[in-house]
Amino acid sequence: MEKVNIIINGKEVTVPKDTYLLKAMQNEGITVPTLCHHKDLTPSGTCRLCVVEIEQNGKKKIVTSCNYPVRSEIKVETDSERIKQHRKILAELYLGRWPNVPVIKDIAKRCGVSESRFTSEMTEESEKACILCTHCVRGCHEFIMEDILDFAGRGIKRHLTMPFGEVDPHCIGCTSCAYVCPTGAIEVVDDLQNPVNPQLIRDYGMRINAEMATLDKNQCRMREVGTANIVDVMDAYDLLPVHNYKFGKHENTKNIDSKMLKKKYFTQQMPDGCWKGCSMACAKTVDGFELKTGPYKGEKVCVDGPEYETAAGAANMGCFDADFLVEFNFYCDTYGVDTISMATCTAFVMEAFEAGQITTEHTGGLVLNFGATDAVLEMLHQMARGEGFGVDVGQGIRWLKNKWAKEYGADGDFLQDIGMEIKGLEYSEYVCKESLAQQVGYSAAVKGPQHDEAWLIFMDMVNNQIPTFENKAEALYYYPLWRTWFGLLGLCKLVWNDVVPLDNSKFPPPVAAKVPGHVEDFFKFFEGMTGIPLDEEKMLAQSARVHNLQRIMSRMLGYGTRKDDIPPYRAVGPVTEEEFLSRQERFDKQLKELLGLDPEKMQLDEKRKVLREYRYQQYNKALDAAYERRGWTRDGVPKVERLKELGIDLPELIAIIQNDQSA
Amino acid sequence: MRKLSPHDIPRIAGEEKARQAAWKGMLMVCTGTGCVSAHGFDILHALQKEIKDAGLDNEWVAVGTGCNGFCAAGPIVVVQPQGVFYQKVKIEDTKTIVDEHLKGGSPVEKLLFKDPVSGVVAQTMDEIGFFRKQELIALRNKGLIDPENIQHYIARGGYDALRKILERQEPEAVIDEIIASGIRGRGGGGFPSGIKWRSGRKAAEDRNEEIYVVCNADEGDPGAYMDRSIIETDPHSVIEGMLIGGFAVGAKEGFVYMRKEYPLAMDRLHIAIDQAREAGLLGENILGTSFSFDIRVHRGAGAFVCGESTALMASMSGRAGEPRAKYVHNVEYGYRDKPTVLNNVETWANIPVIIEKGAQWFASIGSGDVSESPWGGSSGAKVFSLVGDIRNTGLVEAPMGISLREIIEDIGGGIPNGRQFKAVQTGGPSGGCIPASMLDMPVDFDSLTEAGSMMGSGGMIVMDDHTCMVDVARYFVDFLVDESCGKCTPCREGLYHMRNILQRICDGEGKESDIDTLEELANTIRETSLCQLGASAPNPVLSTLRYFRDEYEEHIRDRKCRAGVCKALIRYEINDKCIGCTACARACPVNAITGETKKLHVIDAEACIKCGICYETCKFGAVEVK
Repeated sequence: MEKVNIIINGKEVTVPKDTYLLKAMQNEGITVPTLCHHKDLTPSGTCRLCVVEIEQNGKKKIVTSCNYPVRSEIKVETDSERIKQHRKILAELYLGRWPNVPVIKDIAKRCGVSESRFTSEMTEESEKACILCTHCVRGCHEFIMEDILDFAGRGIKRHLTMPFGEVDPHCIGCTSCAYVCPTGAIEVVDDLQNPVNPQLIRDYGMRINAEMATLDKNQCRMREVGTANIVDVMDAYDLLPVHNYKFGKHENTKNIDSKMLKKKYFTQQMPDGCWKGCSMACAKTVDGFELKTGPYKGEKVCVDGPEYETAAGAANMGCFDADFLVEFNFYCDTYGVDTISMATCTAFVMEAFEAGQITTEHTGGLVLNFGATDAVLEMLHQMARGEGFGVDVGQGIRWLKNKWAKEYGADGDFLQDIGMEIKGLEYSEYVCKESLAQQVGYSAAVKGPQHDEAWLIFMDMVNNQIPTFENKAEALYYYPLWRTWFGLLGLCKLVWNDVVPLDNSKFPPPVAAKVPGHVEDFFKFFEGMTGIPLDEEKMLAQSARVHNLQRIMSRMLGYGTRKDDIPPYRAVGPVTEEEFLSRQERFDKQLKELLGLDPEKMQLDEKRKVLREYRYQQYNKALDAAYERRGWTRDGVPKVERLKELGIDLPELIAIIQNDQSA
Repeated sequence: MRKLSPHDIPRIAGEEKARQAAWKGMLMVCTGTGCVSAHGFDILHALQKEIKDAGLDNEWVAVGTGCNGFCAAGPIVVVQPQGVFYQKVKIEDTKTIVDEHLKGGSPVEKLLFKDPVSGVVAQTMDEIGFFRKQELIALRNKGLIDPENIQHYIARGGYDALRKILERQEPEAVIDEIIASGIRGRGGGGFPSGIKWRSGRKAAEDRNEEIYVVCNADEGDPGAYMDRSIIETDPHSVIEGMLIGGFAVGAKEGFVYMRKEYPLAMDRLHIAIDQAREAGLLGENILGTSFSFDIRVHRGAGAFVCGESTALMASMSGRAGEPRAKYVHNVEYGYRDKPTVLNNVETWANIPVIIEKGAQWFASIGSGDVSESPWGGSSGAKVFSLVGDIRNTGLVEAPMGISLREIIEDIGGGIPNGRQFKAVQTGGPSGGCIPASMLDMPVDFDSLTEAGSMMGSGGMIVMDDHTCMVDVARYFVDFLVDESCGKCTPCREGLYHMRNILQRICDGEGKESDIDTLEELANTIRETSLCQLGASAPNPVLSTLRYFRDEYEEHIRDRKCRAGVCKALIRYEINDKCIGCTACARACPVNAITGETKKLHVIDAEACIKCGICYETCKFGAVEVK
């Protein structure tokens, strides 16, 4: 980062280029009076109290320090006579208009003003008058990306209002505006949910608000592109599923990544509104998109997406075409089809098709190579109409594997290896071959391999926060419970760890992965709402009751034992020769370093066989550790003593699992 | 019209010139907004009908033009190419013009311009003082073309500059040429346009971003109508200027931000844009080259502050028209946070001529020396709207560096009604008032700023000795109190209190300390306001305090308004010149005047509302202001 040397009140200081001058001054302990400045809001430069005198190339001028970006060598004087005189006049103007507002009185005192010459018919005697500082307006816009409040009237008639001077029903009562108001001019009139301690919720809510508003743009850009930001990251880390999870990146990812979507598609630029007033305020909607196929062909529609999983699904199908992606997204949503299951299942169909396991004879003429965008959309429309090959695909991978092996004479073992499903549910869109934590996270998730219960790929592969086997085993205990807890409370997890506090890295990596600052926020929300203080142990216990109950229900339905937690080999290692060769260097290195073998002397088949055995062995070891930590048997069944520990040792539950306790 | 190729431009010019030369003459009827309000269109249509009825429509043609400039003489008809200038034409005069001039061959004497001082009748436009000292660059086509006819523009050399630069394909060289010409922004700031273009081009290249060009047509100064007239008169000159600018900086899109209160200009601009698109002068592959550029029009709602560049960009983006700090300039982060080059209408209209005639030619006009840097002087000419207490109100374009005296006395024809010149207010509401002692100062960017006023966009309001300078300051500050957006404290609160103090002084309730308070406020507003509206808002007060301080002191100490304007400080009395005609008593709206016929009348000071009607009514000088 480029640095600039400046002199503040005679003292030499070095700051990163584009640092706001006020910040540079504050770093040196130099303060000036401010009113419109707020640490969590972008500067507005309206009160003018923070003016300072700068000298640049021998020329002096006055600037507001709050929004003046330091870009070149300047000399700064923060308290010259000229500046003090201006602040005095400004303070006098303020005092004349709002003589009884405490923050104004403080400012006046600080600027040496006790009386004002400027009383007039505009003078407001209230101690809680609005002083037009713009905190609330900026707060509404920046914290939750709404514009419920703004100013109307020009000049001296400027006043705070909601549209048309009426109470705006779109205000969701987030109370951010009232929180940042320095005078108490905004009163909160109702607490509909009747929380025990609303102030506690607000105090911690504002922490999150401020972090989202100030940090997102440098961390995830959820407010610009939603979760699509992950496309770029996953491709860079070889984790983006390409061609049915064979590969982890593609040269054409740029055609569907967040940069492309932001530039050409995400036109709405306002929060999606899945939860109005959300602190995170993901924004990713495509407006005015003209459909090229299907029943709505030619119509211009609004598409809520694409999210990461949908874009990654397109990569998985080899369809690196953003027009296709948006259309696919629209029709999946419209038909009520899950984009992830659809993409993963289609990717499986495509690989089987390319491998000759099925032909156009079976697909009703559809040529389903990777990248066949038109055929994918046609298949989707068939599925919705209940016609043709689409109906088969709609049954999912497990059903297709079975049918093709039985009826079409396809290679069942091969289909088992490449069919990315567990417990009948299709995998979500991450390549987990190199992430033991994610492998088990996926396969041991109660309802199947979705990312909701155990999204460990990022901390394992990108941030490298759980490097050891023990870390991973612990993560497989903690995160499914922590994430289940969000489900119990009906909260969105994105706010928890997509954006993290600036000081999060002060914790050791496995702790940092938990984002302790945000965990505390959520515990305080719970406490503010219910009056019950919460800590990690209590939270885990709440969640474990439900998690174990879910596992027992799964057992009751005929799943929920070890055999149901074993992934297809595609999720664990390279199935095909092509796949092995594409990352040969990596796999050879593993054979050498992890197994002490000499890959130079081995045939390809042998290498593949050895690697497969090793990887499944590692997988099972990790699964054992996860079961153990969760208080489950080696067969993955909750132990009765664990139920006792959790206080859910109900006879009807014990009846379901008591015969499976021996393993 | 089909899409044009480069060689079509000179061809069309030649054909149109030949077509025009075939007429015995063209009757150019002013249909600028001023003349339109005085039946300009009706006169045009009447003339067209008379010509047709007389069977002369193969020999003569009547054409509606934009503003002729000499608004005081409107409605105007000029017979070209002879240059016979008819003023104050009425609808019924059109038949006379056809009968006497077109048929009879001799000009209509009663409609010719007669110099009010010398009494000399001008046979042609050249003989009229108003036109003689002007230097027409931005207004080069005024009164000579139909603004709704693209061929007329091309016949006068239009789009030839564009053709040339597209043939050469050297955008950097275009920027060099504009810098060398020394042209500085005509919208107020006087920033060198070429340097702005260069910064914009560089910012776009550095960040690999799109860049936009924008035309500021939000002219909002009271009494100023330079930009409106240019668009009404010659919209294609602005379009061509923007095309050249767009090519030079690498833009594909341009925008015109125009206030909705300019309906005629809006219509003519839209017509011109449509014509240019049809001719392939806007849109994809202009003149068959790889250069593509189009222009869209944004309508503003008329807030004065929206003429400020950052407020304008905010308004264009759909936000409230409020300015932001300019520590980061629009050329880096402007419209849609992309590099944006903003110039005003008049600047854009100058560009094609600079390219056509060369930077050296342009730099040779004006004052100072711009050979080293555009900051070295003020090159070219400037359009002014000359209004107020002056004979020849109108729109003038004069070379930079011309003296105020030349503009006011020679072009403007001096002060009417036997009164004395007192001051001229330049630069719009936040400009300053310049006194008689400084009439010989040159009019250019730097001299005006030095004198405590500014060039602004070229408003020039002349005031005679019946003007109270405190009242003038109050009037302009009052305007600015209304037009301040209210975003920053000094402008919002400070101006309001300045206005209150000025009002108090005008009301005869001024305090000894008021002048000091005004100066303190003015200083803080000037130095700490967020945008130039606030920063320049105290100019009317500071400049009147600088040159007319004694009038303030008289108001406060002596409770006296020497100009007889501030009602609270004057009273009307009837002296012994009264012959008792009763006219004043009959005219008084509040019956405050009593007196018998043929006897001295008396004004009841208690009942008098100081409306001044008696003063205007009395033909004997018997009513006095004291």
